[in-house]
Amino acid sequence: MRFFDSHVHMVSRTTDDYQRMAAAGVAALIEPSFWQGQPRTEPGSFKDYFNSLVGFERFRASQFGIKHYCTIGLNPKEANNEKLADAVMELLPLYICKEGVVGIGEIGFDDQTKAEEKYLRIQAEMALEADLPIQIHTPHRDKKTGTIRTMDVLEDVGVDPRKVIIDHNNEETVKSVLDRGYWAAFTIYPHTKLGNERMIEIMREYGAERIVVDSSADWGISDPLAVPKTAALMKEAGIPLEEIEQVTYHNPLNAYGQSGQVQESDWEAAEGIDPTALFAGNTLLRGGQDIQKAMGSDDLVIR
Amino acid sequence: MVSPFLRDLLGRSAAAESMNWLDDEMAAMRADFNQRRFYFAFSGVSRRFDKHVSVATTEADRPELEKLCEGFSVTGWDEFRLARVILLTVLSEQPDSVYQETLEKVLGSADLREQVAIFSALPLLPEPGFLLGLAREGSRTNIVDVFDAIALGNPFPAAHFPEEAWNQLVLKSLFISRPLYRMQGIDERANATLAEALSNLAHERWAAGRYVSPELWRSCANFLTDTIVSDIERVATSDEPGQREAAALVTASDSENRLAHLRELLAKQLDAVRSGDLTWDSLGEMLATAS
Repeated sequence: MRFFDSHVHMVSRTTDDYQRMAAAGVAALIEPSFWQGQPRTEPGSFKDYFNSLVGFERFRASQFGIKHYCTIGLNPKEANNEKLADAVMELLPLYICKEGVVGIGEIGFDDQTKAEEKYLRIQAEMALEADLPIQIHTPHRDKKTGTIRTMDVLEDVGVDPRKVIIDHNNEETVKSVLDRGYWAAFTIYPHTKLGNERMIEIMREYGAERIVVDSSADWGISDPLAVPKTAALMKEAGIPLEEIEQVTYHNPLNAYGQSGQVQESDWEAAEGIDPTALFAGNTLLRGGQDIQKAMGSDDLVIR
Repeated sequence: MVSPFLRDLLGRSAAAESMNWLDDEMAAMRADFNQRRFYFAFSGVSRRFDKHVSVATTEADRPELEKLCEGFSVTGWDEFRLARVILLTVLSEQPDSVYQETLEKVLGSADLREQVAIFSALPLLPEPGFLLGLAREGSRTNIVDVFDAIALGNPFPAAHFPEEAWNQLVLKSLFISRPLYRMQGIDERANATLAEALSNLAHERWAAGRYVSPELWRSCANFLTDTIVSDIERVATSDEPGQREAAALVTASDSENRLAHLRELLAKQLDAVRSGDLTWDSLGEMLATAS
């Protein structure tokens, strides 16, 4: 099987991760712009960060046969530094129309402050201007209120819910997000977000339509193999294969494909390093025959 | 100055709608230049053209390309690259301060293909003194496509790089296994300092048991020292045909007869040099195809 991880922060990951992801069948990924743990104090830090997302990280991924896309934006946490945020708004037009930029993101709320709302609005308007999808980060604290408030703001700006992927959903937010016509993404991330057993229950209730599974692996304890592991666990749990493919591959591709900047032919017809060659002797893994072995662990469960 | 020829060249493969868009953008830039609109156009090329389509150039275009700049070539370019090079030439019609500031800003935020386009445009842009700094910084990249845009098939480095920068470019090309025969001016820019550095590089790699490209000796051919003479003696007895061919090419251009003692050993290869079947370019091409 092939997978499309639509949310993963590769600048924080190692080449071992790239190798394992390629071996487990991750064909393409999206790296959203986000907070790097250490707050940035200069606009130039954002510029260099965006440069790595469209430059060196894209090159690094290609060495492992993985197609790398990104979303560009100012994350909500750093939106609270208004002087910096204004400078970042000046930078964004340089990046948002670039090749492989599949959306504005990840944007939304963190503390749900006025400043966060201001830059959410400005960036939603930019997405309208550039005709790009939006990738939404929903807050860790007071998630349900923050998610609803995000959708209210987006609709007030005039954004089409079909062009918005709302991420980090859980059992509490999924219904309203789907009911209002948005894509609902779920982050399989140990301890702080969603475990994959819970994901399976959510799919049993809501099916696969407009549902997306991603890893959001970053600099914290997280799992860049969350998508293939969850797919394997879903298979064990008896979820139909078509539904597994929908949430781990086709849905994210269709949602972000609305940018015109990502299509299956990008990797199906790709020249360059062939991951099956890179992992000579392990080519069966590309067929998803033995995902567990590829991942070096018997345990598919992420809690 | 933008060339109507380049625009027409792009139009051979690109859709009429895309060309209309490009014409509109060029007209807007000339009528009332706006930096933000330029960013959108320059990056937005990716939404209008096809990166999988190569520019439809033939040998017959050679004279027109030479008119633009001696040695200028668009071989292997995709549509993105040519469309962006055209936009950059229009940008360069702006007053120097606007042109330079905008170009630096665009390069400072360029993605891979945009960097490739900017460095490919260098031979067509004004103010080479200003561009030289950008090109030298660019050649420090670790990204092969970006390095290639500067080092291979581009007349800019040979025309403008000072000797120390040229020498680094050749050494780095060898380090990252780039085909030297595609470096324009590789023979004209050869110098004694480079020849010595190349010989040192060969020694270092031999000591480590690593491969030494036969192309390395191309820039040494006219700067034979005692050390390089003994290097060529070693290469002449290599098991690998390409190495012996390189030794023959150096021997053939040795006007001081310092390698005369190798003529018998390399008789077959020297015949091929005389008949024109073996040249540095044919050797480089053979090595590139084989790898």
